[in-house]
Amino acid sequence: MSARLNCSSARCVGRVIKSQTANLLSRPAPAAVTLIGTSISSTRHYAVASRPAPLNLKTQLPENYVSLTQPPTARRPESRKSQMIRQYTALLRSTPLMLFFQHNSLTAVEWAAVRRELRAALRAVPAPLVGPDGSMPVDITESINFQVIRTRMMDVAMKIEEFFDPEEAAKHPNAFTHDLSQTAYEAIQAADKENPNTAYAQLRHLFHGPVAALSFPTVSPAHLAAALKILSPSAPDFPAPTRRKNPGYYDLTTQSGLQKLLLVGGRVEGKAFDYQGVRWVGGIEGGLDGLRAQLMYMLQSAGLGLTTALQGQSKGLWLTLESRRTQLDEEQNPKKEDGEAPSGESVDGA
Amino acid sequence: MITRFITEVNTKFNPFSAAARSTRLFLSSLPANARSQGMKIDTKLLPRTSADPAVLQVKFSTFRLSELKEEYTMHGSRTNKCIIAEDGKEMNLDGAKLGIKGIIEEVDRHSRFLQKQADLNDG
Repeated sequence: MSARLNCSSARCVGRVIKSQTANLLSRPAPAAVTLIGTSISSTRHYAVASRPAPLNLKTQLPENYVSLTQPPTARRPESRKSQMIRQYTALLRSTPLMLFFQHNSLTAVEWAAVRRELRAALRAVPAPLVGPDGSMPVDITESINFQVIRTRMMDVAMKIEEFFDPEEAAKHPNAFTHDLSQTAYEAIQAADKENPNTAYAQLRHLFHGPVAALSFPTVSPAHLAAALKILSPSAPDFPAPTRRKNPGYYDLTTQSGLQKLLLVGGRVEGKAFDYQGVRWVGGIEGGLDGLRAQLMYMLQSAGLGLTTALQGQSKGLWLTLESRRTQLDEEQNPKKEDGEAPSGESVDGA
Repeated sequence: MITRFITEVNTKFNPFSAAARSTRLFLSSLPANARSQGMKIDTKLLPRTSADPAVLQVKFSTFRLSELKEEYTMHGSRTNKCIIAEDGKEMNLDGAKLGIKGIIEEVDRHSRFLQKQADLNDG
């Protein structure tokens, strides 16, 4: 694709000129006000017709003028695809946890049924008592979205998200740093997209065919587990809801829809996870805090073990030496023990 | 794609590999009411590290229940006559080599043959 510099300069010029003529038109107004102010005695005011100033042709924009709100782009900004790229880059940057499902010819009714069950299951998840770092808890249930994505646009958005660094680009003079800019386009063209260590190379093959994304605004294993129980149940860890508890789940339409959904993978904190990895994340008890607590416990117990292990040697040495010392002492003056023993007995007796 | 004569689809693939692409596309090209019309679709996912090739097995019908004909004997008792279209052929397709177009071509080729047989038997 040839990089097109699509600057809407013509429109911008028109707009700026228009605003300037508007200013020129309105400029005489304060003068009129002061005039009126001086003639306080007169009771009647007549509208003052101001003569429109002739349009100054020197107010035309310089050649390198750039609108702040509409910077030039490498892709046509008004097209749906460009806006979709912006939407997906925003989604990828703001969403730490995403699950990807292949959906095989689900009908609209089935989608509605699946979303209804998912919504109900997510609402049933108890809200956290405290938020991260002791802040106010935020209920993320309403922000969890299950949406069909356009795979090609997602592909481009993932490249932009991973290979384009706006802060790095901002260091260059006259470079634009938005996602549709020429800089971003060149950055993703130049990037090594085959490098298997990049998240893009790992995830790119998921985006073939019909794919839907379930996006969570935070990594919340409780919500993830609730969603997995509905969308991709597996017997021991994530059982499907029982028929008595949730009859809607066993509705024919819902079941037919769920059979066509296939969990292919996930993206957690920018890393690729397969279905087993996603289930592992869903199985973390107590969320991130729970994981931290586990780590703390592990580190503490490891420290304890280490200190006892290190202490053990010296303690053993000390015990050996000490016992040897007492033994030597006993050999040197065996009578002292005899003298001590009765006193010890007396102490015990007392 | 003619899916009337497909009775069973078994797939196994690693979605993180490029080789699984055509297999996944084949799954998505099956009609929305495939399961309700008696097609068995079984999908197994391989872990991300697995390098196994994608498996796509398609089984075709031996006969179709819709083509059961009822015949009445002279005594009034009823017997069913099955119209056998084909002997339940199994196809193992290599998605990585064929591509989605190749898979559909192979499946359609056999389906057209079955269609012809069914038409001949009907008439």
